[in-house]
Amino acid sequence: MDLSFILFFFVKGLEISSPIAFAALGAVFSERSGVVNIALEGIMIVTTFTIVWAAIALHSIWLGVLFAIVAGSLVALIHAVVSVTFRVDQIVSGVAINIFAVGLSRFLSQKVFGQETQTPTNAYLFPQFLGINSMAFLLIPIALIGWFVLYRTVFGLRLRTVGENPEAADTLGLNVYGLRYAGVIISGALCGLSAATLFPSQWISGMTAGRGYIALAAMIFGRWDPVGAVLASLLFGYADTFRIMFETKIPIPGQFVQMFPYVLAVVVLAGMVGKARAPAADGKPYEKGED
Amino acid sequence: MPGIKLRFDRYKLLEIFAPVAGFLASIVVLLIIVIVVGESPGEALVAIYKFSLSSSAKVATILSVSIPLFFAGIAVAFAFQSGVFNIGAEGQYYFGGLIGAMAGIYLHLPAFIHIPVVILFSMAGGALWALIPAILKVTKNVHEVITTIMFNSIALALVNYLVNGPLSGLGQGKSLEPQTAKIQSTALFGKLNGFFRMLGWNVPDYVYLDYSLIVAVITGFIVWFVLFRMRHGFEIRAIGISLDVSRYSGMKVKQLQLSAFVISGALSGLIGLQEIFAIRGYYTYGIASGLGFDGIAIALIGKNSPLGVVFASLLFAFLKQAGYGLQFYTSVPNSVIYVITGLMILFIVVINEIVAAYIRTLRKKEAV
Repeated sequence: MDLSFILFFFVKGLEISSPIAFAALGAVFSERSGVVNIALEGIMIVTTFTIVWAAIALHSIWLGVLFAIVAGSLVALIHAVVSVTFRVDQIVSGVAINIFAVGLSRFLSQKVFGQETQTPTNAYLFPQFLGINSMAFLLIPIALIGWFVLYRTVFGLRLRTVGENPEAADTLGLNVYGLRYAGVIISGALCGLSAATLFPSQWISGMTAGRGYIALAAMIFGRWDPVGAVLASLLFGYADTFRIMFETKIPIPGQFVQMFPYVLAVVVLAGMVGKARAPAADGKPYEKGED
Repeated sequence: MPGIKLRFDRYKLLEIFAPVAGFLASIVVLLIIVIVVGESPGEALVAIYKFSLSSSAKVATILSVSIPLFFAGIAVAFAFQSGVFNIGAEGQYYFGGLIGAMAGIYLHLPAFIHIPVVILFSMAGGALWALIPAILKVTKNVHEVITTIMFNSIALALVNYLVNGPLSGLGQGKSLEPQTAKIQSTALFGKLNGFFRMLGWNVPDYVYLDYSLIVAVITGFIVWFVLFRMRHGFEIRAIGISLDVSRYSGMKVKQLQLSAFVISGALSGLIGLQEIFAIRGYYTYGIASGLGFDGIAIALIGKNSPLGVVFASLLFAFLKQAGYGLQFYTSVPNSVIYVITGLMILFIVVINEIVAAYIRTLRKKEAV
């Protein structure tokens, strides 16, 4: 095993981790504001379709990612309207959006490309850097910016306050609903970057393969912290990279190797007894006091 | 207590309002999509009618399609009643169905015992697959939504391995689809079509109204009885309404959650009965997927009550047939039904909240 191979493994792992990591980072913003976002999976389904569609239609992957970010934000907006404004159970809303997203992407694929389960290949790709999709390197600055915004800006402080104690935040004059909308929409926008790093060369139905849910597991393992969530995503991503690169060399059936990331997620969550604490108002709809 | 019940009854009408209004709103969206795609809404409605209600055979098909959907709905609803979100019905019926099929292939029993045995094995398999997420929830507080989703993926991979490997029965058949050996005839579900024809309902032979329909009716009744006529069911519903109040009143909250979760898994095990024991006669990785997720929608639309789930699963079966009708007669793809389903859930829960707020203000006025 030579040095270039090790370097490639290191870089490839970053690429494979990125879709999960961007979504996990988004999940941090949503949940720190008090909204559980299980719709991440559905949002990723929509953004992965949108980026390919827009790139093919507009002959530019940069416009593709822009549209993916907008599409992700719009789907997230539905989640915010339903679960923040109408105070519907956040998991119910997320599940409904995931069902909706599967139908929408297949419907559009059929109507636009004449094939329900996959699009044609998209030739407009991001430049490569060190042999991988260069967008993956964006993860590092975005994670640091995420950390900075959450812990070093007024907006971040307010967002966290709303997730911990919305009553107090409301009393202080903070716009609880507005901040929660912001948290949820940021998570949708970041799923646009997930799409940019998850094989933007073609959309195939089912290609997200539960990465939205794994991202939630990574966020919990990362203790609702931007850097923690990204590091946890790297754990999943590198485990998956190891699987992909060594699958043929491991003497166990392929199906067991495929299970590995999911088993890892369960084991990791099970091993976290008492070590993590969700934001106090996470998952709880807030009703503005009547005056 | 009786006084409270009377007060609730006054608002019953408003409570039914949300599902009905949500359904109608989503049909409106469907028609808008039809227009956007460039088809005529009238033709779309005719297409839906032709494929769903135009003959007794079509109606029988809806009933047939609704059977696995009913099991999926009642399984998810049972867990919901206790506040547990079982998104794992998918993995539970894949695994439960395999265990049931094993009992059908490898046990040698007379039919009147073999059929109940495969049903119980299917339930046991489903329960087993729910057990680890259930234990993790009650002992380590790991959220069931994530673990059950992970267990869905694990079940699919495991079943794929078993059917392709140790349990493969491809030597017997000619099909290339990986599958188990044939289930013995003593464990196969017969059809009730003849019985229905005797009653004057002309159900053609190609429609599967089989023993799983009887299982569904019995299951529905038992679940209703357990939830609404037994102490255990009362406690399960109580923890679903308020964990804290239940705990303070001395209920064993964790045991109740565990049992509701595992029973939900057992009910999920029944989802595959019709396809495995009536239609195919063997188990395969290719059994219909996605029913566990349909179950979530059905439970939500049926408001987690057994009767509500009956209506919701019939509605869902109707929608599925409607989707095929649209695809067959118009250029609207079948997948539009999932768009509509997702929206219908959102409409229903949002209208629910609005109605609930309206009822609260009504009550306040009454109190004054």
